Amino acid sequence: MKRSSTPSRPGRPLRPTRPVAAAVTVLTAGALVFGASACGGRATTHHKPGTSHEQAGGSVGRLLAADDGSGNRLRQVDAEGAPAVTVAVRPDSEDGWNVHLSVRNFRFTPDSVGGAALPGRGHARLFLDGHPLARVYGSWFHLPASLVRAAGGGTGLTARLYADDHTAWAVNSTPVQATASLSAPSAPEESRSATPRPDTTLEIVVSHGKVSPDPGRTEIEKGRTVELRVRSDRADTLHVHGYDKEARLPAGKTVTLTFTADRSGLFEAETHESDLLLTQLVVR
Amino acid sequence: MSVLAHGIGAQHDLPLSPFYAFAGAFAALFVSFLALGLLWSASRFRGDRAGRPLPSALQRLADARPTRIALRALGLAAALYVTLNLLLGPDDPDRNPGPGAVYVLLWVGLVPASLLLGPVWRLLNPLRTVHLLGCRALGRDPAAGRPFPVRLGLWPAAAGLLAFTWLELVAPDPASATALLLFLSLHTAVHLAGAARHGAGWFDRADAFEVYSGLLARLSPLGRRPADRRLVLRSPFNGLDATPQPPGLVATVCVMLGSTAYDGFSDSPSWITTVQTSPLGRTTAATLGLLGAVALVAALYALCTGAVRLISGQLSHPLTAFAHSLVPIALGYLVAHYFTLFVTEGPRTVMVASGTDNPAPPEPLLGPGGVATLQVAAIVLGHVLGVIAAHDRSVRLFPPGRAVAGQLPLLVLMITYTIGGLSLLIA
Repeated sequence: MKRSSTPSRPGRPLRPTRPVAAAVTVLTAGALVFGASACGGRATTHHKPGTSHEQAGGSVGRLLAADDGSGNRLRQVDAEGAPAVTVAVRPDSEDGWNVHLSVRNFRFTPDSVGGAALPGRGHARLFLDGHPLARVYGSWFHLPASLVRAAGGGTGLTARLYADDHTAWAVNSTPVQATASLSAPSAPEESRSATPRPDTTLEIVVSHGKVSPDPGRTEIEKGRTVELRVRSDRADTLHVHGYDKEARLPAGKTVTLTFTADRSGLFEAETHESDLLLTQLVVR
Repeated sequence: MSVLAHGIGAQHDLPLSPFYAFAGAFAALFVSFLALGLLWSASRFRGDRAGRPLPSALQRLADARPTRIALRALGLAAALYVTLNLLLGPDDPDRNPGPGAVYVLLWVGLVPASLLLGPVWRLLNPLRTVHLLGCRALGRDPAAGRPFPVRLGLWPAAAGLLAFTWLELVAPDPASATALLLFLSLHTAVHLAGAARHGAGWFDRADAFEVYSGLLARLSPLGRRPADRRLVLRSPFNGLDATPQPPGLVATVCVMLGSTAYDGFSDSPSWITTVQTSPLGRTTAATLGLLGAVALVAALYALCTGAVRLISGQLSHPLTAFAHSLVPIALGYLVAHYFTLFVTEGPRTVMVASGTDNPAPPEPLLGPGGVATLQVAAIVLGHVLGVIAAHDRSVRLFPPGRAVAGQLPLLVLMITYTIGGLSLLIA
């Protein structure tokens, strides 16, 4: 009867014995002291990337009082030899966009981010209609559609150059930046045809406890992708047995669940709360 | 209910491709008519008298008191383990071994165990052990009690079997601890009360699991010769031929066949739609489906024995005289439906029991083609065994002139069951 999963009784937390507790205390204190001495000093270029947000390290250019709109001060340099950027965007064949930054007088230095500002070095940041999207450490960046959705959507993509100390490079009190617009990701169908579009799409609607179309069987070749588009009039959970795929079904919203049918067998897709069979997938 | 068909398990076998089904049906028909023409014309099976005795050392070991006590202790410990898990463990069949132990290891596992070793549940049955211990404590003779009404026969077992298959296939949440505990406590109460009244012999007739295991054990090569109590190796035909024919035997076999058939068609989308949209409610609709399946199997059987009576005239109990020949057909259904469940969920239950939460089911032993072949082979083999058993019985019971005609209705019935079973696998 040695079972680990029988519920343990609450209210009796495990307590380490006294010597152990003492050792833990000493270790914790030591770690705190040591950590403070390691992290409290000035940021150096050997600082772990991205762990410090100390502003205005280094003495390159002139630090302006103005900021970039998201709390990072501008660091003004002379127009001549100043970093410059242009941005190009093109839709990706599978998801979202590919963003290409062309920089002049600038090098991406992910190794020393968080350190002092050095001329012509640093990283870029992407903004979508003013909302920060991502930090970029190279000239190519894949912008997934999910990230755009998470940022609330928009079309104006801005790339801005920053120094290692997170100040924004600026010329004439204007941040060094470039803007491009995101075209609709639904590029022409021809360009998408090479991508693994779902081989089988099943549209299912659940309303008043009724499934339409009536649950049936769908033959699927093993290895193909299946897309279930389900709308339920009640909040529910969609579950594909065997593959153990789950998705929340908010009331009245169409939810898409895509997966690759890589196991053969007869599997059921169903809702959990209302316990309705939606369809059976025959994978062979 | 479709969620937890068989109580547990997330994957079902692929529907059979028509090729396999047609091949199976053809084989069944072919064998049936071949049997009519070619099989012996005088009964060959000797039932209980047959068999080659096992070495006496083996018999002594099997019959030794420590062996018996160890088996009883094992059964009791397993029952306690399952009950405690159901009582105290998480109410989730992925993390609690209880449901898997009941639906897979016990219910499905009884099939191979009984086929290999004989009526094992008699030896393990924890209720028998509890009754035995109770009697010992009270200083009573466990066998003593009022005589069991002969007319009841196996009817209590048939009812118990129907109740258990209802729980497994129809109940709203068969794998929940509540449902299982309710069933198990009811089962315990009924059988302890029955045993207290009628003595330990009650279990032989009334305990669904013992009767189920005992019927399947008729096909085991291992048997016991009643004349000299020797353990013998015998042909499954002889074991089958010796099946006792108490009232209720037909009902028990019909419940076995009908419930397995219901399990087959309850997977089909059209039946699930019927149940999901039924104005009667799901449980009622599914209950009617299960009862309907059993009733259909029984009605076909009754029709067939009616025809036998018409042809042969003088048989007093044609209804029970051929019931034994349906046991192999039921076994074929069981193997076809539960093989995958047993080989995937069985090990998984053991993994859950040994402490792994929600383990991945092991890779299936057979590919889809292998499973399909096995399913068809099981059903056709069951059919063949049934046909042979029925043939031998009919040449024994009928006068030589009528033997062939007399078994015709039975042959038609078996072909119906077999083709029905195959078409359930397509659906």
